[in-house]
Order: sequence, then structure tokens, then C-alpha cells
Amino acid sequence: MIKVENLFYSYTKDSKYAVDDVNFEVAKGEAFGFLGPSGAGKSTTQGILTGLLPMQDGLAEVAGYNMKNPSRKMFNKLGVSFEQSNVYGKLTALENLEFYRKLFDVETIEPNVLLEIVGLSHVANKKASTFSKGMKHRLTFARSMLNKPELWFLDEPTTGLDPAIANQIKDVIKEKSKEGSTIFLTTHNMFIADELCDRVGFIIDGVLKLIDSPRNLKLKYGQKLVDIEYKDGNEIKKDSFSLIKEEERLKLNHIINNYEIELMHTKEATLEEIFIKVTGRGLV
Amino acid sequence: MKFAHNFIKDMKVSFKTFYIYIEILMALIFVAILLFVVPENFSSDINMYAHIDSSLQSNEIVEALESDNSSNIILLDSMDEIKYMLEEDRNSIGISISMVDQKILYNVILQGYESQKYRNIIEKSLIAEGIKDLPEYGSNTNIVTLASSSERLSDRLNMLPIFLLLNSAFTGLFIVATYIFMDKEEGTIRAFAVTPAKVWEYLLSKMGVMLVTGLLTGLITTLLVAGLKANYLHLIALLIATNLFGTSIGLFISSFYDSIMKAMGAILVTFMTLAFATTSYFMPSFNPIIIRILPSYPMAFAFREVFLENPDIAYIYSNVAGFTVLAALFFLWSNHRFKKTLTV
Ligand SMILES: Nc1ncnc2c1ncn2[C@@H]1O[C@H](COP(=O)(O)OP(=O)(O)OP(=O)(O)O)[C@@H](O)[C@H]1O
Ligand SMILES: [Mg+2]
Repeated sequence: MIKVENLFYSYTKDSKYAVDDVNFEVAKGEAFGFLGPSGAGKSTTQGILTGLLPMQDGLAEVAGYNMKNPSRKMFNKLGVSFEQSNVYGKLTALENLEFYRKLFDVETIEPNVLLEIVGLSHVANKKASTFSKGMKHRLTFARSMLNKPELWFLDEPTTGLDPAIANQIKDVIKEKSKEGSTIFLTTHNMFIADELCDRVGFIIDGVLKLIDSPRNLKLKYGQKLVDIEYKDGNEIKKDSFSLIKEEERLKLNHIINNYEIELMHTKEATLEEIFIKVTGRGLV
Repeated sequence: MKFAHNFIKDMKVSFKTFYIYIEILMALIFVAILLFVVPENFSSDINMYAHIDSSLQSNEIVEALESDNSSNIILLDSMDEIKYMLEEDRNSIGISISMVDQKILYNVILQGYESQKYRNIIEKSLIAEGIKDLPEYGSNTNIVTLASSSERLSDRLNMLPIFLLLNSAFTGLFIVATYIFMDKEEGTIRAFAVTPAKVWEYLLSKMGVMLVTGLLTGLITTLLVAGLKANYLHLIALLIATNLFGTSIGLFISSFYDSIMKAMGAILVTFMTLAFATTSYFMPSFNPIIIRILPSYPMAFAFREVFLENPDIAYIYSNVAGFTVLAALFFLWSNHRFKKTLTV
């Protein structure tokens, strides 16, 4: 569905690349997560793939169209949700969707149904300019689903939403993914990426460092740890051991055999910890 | 038709923003000024102060002067009085006729700002006046009426074409950029760009909104100021063509800039330059080539024709055709440019 080869992009048209020699492919029906800290080049990549930014160097194929010279028809297959919500403030939520659906040549979903899904039914007839940030963001998200996109670009769909609503949005994406939509998801939220994505890519400073499935990454980089609290005389002691290293396993064994255990739990590395480990950088 | 949906949406949005009301308000203010402040006709006649030497003065001259009330010739007693009056009344000239050594001496006193051409005319006509009385002089003066400029509009009506030009024809030149940058600011232009709709549909819809605004203000103003003293068919044709032209220029300029502030600078300069044609409109004798090549120059005179009893149809419609073609060209050019820059 997406094929990117040696993609470069520079806003200043010099060698300061916001996207620096990026290569990846997204298969039909796959959910691909694009992860990276702020300013990494995630939105820039999405911008190129959705035709909002011009192709500078490299090759990009989206839904069968070469992005050097895409046809407007391509957009019948695409859905795009933006990191910054962009709806007509002067129009109501319903008017926004009603207008937008008429721009497509393919069958569209009833706007009211979409408003229901994102929890905006009660404000369907209110001007979008009166909406909170999160409400506008949900309207932008809802709009991207209008044409039942085969390929769905989501730039931080859950950022700025309260956890309950973020969870709802995540479920919507999950369902569409099950129905066979291809998803290109940009996010800072590792839990959502972990849950939704078949594969994730780590990008930093425009460079794509690594692509793999969350499961493989955990197997490869996540060492299983055991946190333990035990009584040594009157003193409570805390420690942490890796289950992979022989020497630490023996130590743990020794403690279990000789002391009274207060608390013990195993911990899996999160995608976020792996990200930090791989890239040496945090996600924010 | 996506263009139609887009246009309806843009009209909706535009009636919910204040620009369209500002345009209408400006039209109404202009109407109010024209109707209640500007007199139907300015009195801009030139007074002539004359002193005629007592040795020449005859009853006939005095009688001749008094018989015609319309002229503004005021007889004074001395040259000094003329000079004094000229200083008081800057819109006047003076003449003194006296007898020196059996010769008639004409002294023409001017303000000093008159052009050399004007001075020459006065001199030549005085000479002509002098030789007229010679026996062998045969008059060969012809009065030629120039067909196109024979009709005079009242001063009030005469200002209307300028307003139609600046406010209605150039509505789009002035505010289409605002609409586009509003969409850019709101980001909705990016949302539009990821639909199968085309850039020309977006731009044409903006043109439509500007056209409605321009027609609205143009017709309101004309109806209120000129009433039935206008040919509305010609007016509408002209308004459409010139408004489309104005908007296409506005679009074209906007396509070069990424912020409203920068675009506005260029638009203001363009607008001012075009507005320069009004000087020639009010002073037809001042028409250097630099002004005549401005598109606003023929526009102003074409709008004027709309209010004449016998308008020059060919002139009006050659303007309509010309500006429609230019509008189409600039629209296509802007479309070509915007395809690459609309969302960057
Ligand atoms: N319009 C622009 N003009 C110039 N530079 C830009 C522009 N947009 C982004 N950049 C630069 O390009 C780089 C990548 O930005 P991008 O928006 O793609 O990051 P991102 O990964 O989406 O970050 P975030 O998580 O904050 O959204 C950054 O260094 C940013 O400063
Ligand atoms: Mg971003």
C-alpha cells in the first residue's frame, strides 16, 4: 500500500533534512506505527505521502500512485487525520462533515453516524469554533473516516484527548484495522502503538532507525526483570534481577530460599523503554 | 458538482465573517457621503477680475458685461485691486486693459501655477481677439463637439464610476487573499487538499464569492445614487468582467506569498498603482502613457459610459471582453502556481 525508497525532504532545500534517506513498506491491511520524539520528521513524512508537501528526492508510492505525479482520484482511497485539527470554525460539526463528504466520488458514511462514534452527537449543530481542542480533534478524526478509506493516515489521533476518549478512538482504529483498512499511525503513545500496530518504525532526526513488530522488539531488547522486596532481619530490602543473566538468576534463587519475601513481580520492558534503549533518546 | 458545493460553503462562511459586511458598509457610507455631503455639482468656475482703463471704458462694455449673469467677470477699479482679489481667490485670473501711447495694452495676471500651454492659449487668443477687428479678417472659427465627451455627468454621478472601480471591481483584488489565508491559517485548505476535489474548484469558488460581493455593493451603490439614470445591463456586464479580473490578480499575487502580511504589502502597492488612474479620470488632460496603460484607466471610463444617455456600446463591451479574457488568463496562471504552493 505504501512504498518509500530513499526519501529525503528539506524545508530549507539544503542538506538540513527533516526526512533523511527513509525506506520502508507498508503492506495492504497492515497497521504501521510511526514513532519518534518531537521534531523527528513524522508529520513531514505523512505530509509527503499525502501530497501536501512536494516530492523532493526519492521514491514514494501510495495506494498504487507515484507521489511524483499523483492523480486527484487517489484521495478517494485515502483518509487523513491531522495532528493539528483543521475544521471550518464558522460551520457546525454536521455542516463540516456534510460539506466534506460531497468532495468525494465514492460512497461515504452518514455524518451523524461518525459524530456518534467520536462522541460529538450532542454538539452536531454547534459551530466548531466553540469546540474545545479535544472536540475539534475528534471532528478532524471523524472527517478522515468519511470515505471509508482503504489507507488511513492518522497523525497523533489521540494526543490531547482524555484517557477514556483516547481509548474509544483507539478502539475505533482497531476495528477499522480488523475490517482490513491499511493504517499509517503516527503517535507518541507507545501503549496504543503496542496494542494496534503490526509493525512499528522508530524515527529520530529524520532517520528511520529500526522497523519491527512490537513482539519481536520485546523479545530482542526487552529483558525480563523481577522486582523483589524481602526482609533481611528487621530491614526491608529492594532489588531487581534480570531473568536472562545466569548470575542474577542464581542471586534471586538465593534470596527466595533464605529470606522472607514481601513483594515480587515480573516486569516486561515497554515499547518506550525499548525505544530509549535503541535510540538513546526519550520519546518526548 | 464539487465547485457548486464549495461555492455554497464559501458563501455560508463568508456571510459569517465580517468582510462582506465591511464591503457593504463601505458602499453605504459612500452613498451617504455622495447624497448628503457632496453637492450635485461643485462650483468650480473660474472668476475673472477685470480692470478697464477709464479712457477705454464705454457704456457698451459695461452693459455687455452686465447683460450676461452667467459669466464671472468682476469689474474692478485698479490693477492693485485685481492683485489683491487674486490673492484672496486662488481660483481666478485677472485682466487689465489700458491705453498707453495710443496702443491698447493687455495685462493678463495669472496665479503662477498655470501651465505654459495655458499661457500660450491666453496669449494667442488675445492676439486673435486683436486682429478680429481688422477689415480683412475673416472669421474661421469652428465649434467642434467631440462626440464622446459631449455629455456631462453631474459631479455627483461623475464620482460613481470611481467607487465602482475601487470598491466593486477590485473587491477580490483586495480581499480574496484574506479568504485564502484564513483557510491556510485554519488549516482547512490542507483538509481540502486531501480530497479528490481540484484546486481550480477551490479558487473558482473564491472568485464566485468575490463576484457576489462586488455585484452586491456595485448595484446597491448605483441604485441609491443614480437610481434609474444608469444602464444596468451594461453595468452588470462590466462589473462581472472587471470583478473577475480584479480577483484573478488578487489570486495571482497571493500565490507568491506564504503569509497575509507579505501578500497585503504587494496587494496594497498594486491597488494604489491602479487607483492612480483616477487622477486622469478627474483631469482628462493629464494622461501620461504610464497611466493610460493601467487597466484601471479604461475601466473607469467604461464605467462612466454606463451613466451616459448615449453610451459607447463598443467601448463598454470591448472592455468587458478584454477583462474577461485577462481574468481567465490570470486565473489559469494562478491555478498553475497554487497547485504547487497551496499547502506548503
Ligand atoms: N513548515 C516548516 N518549515 C520549516 N521547518 C519545519 C516545518 N515543519 C517542520 N519543520 C521541521 O522539520 C522537522 C520535522 O518536523 P515534523 O513536524 O515532521 O516532526 P514530528 O516528528 O511530526 O514532530 P511532532 O511529534 O512534534 O509532531 C523539525 O525539525 C521541524 O522543526
Ligand atoms: Mg508531528
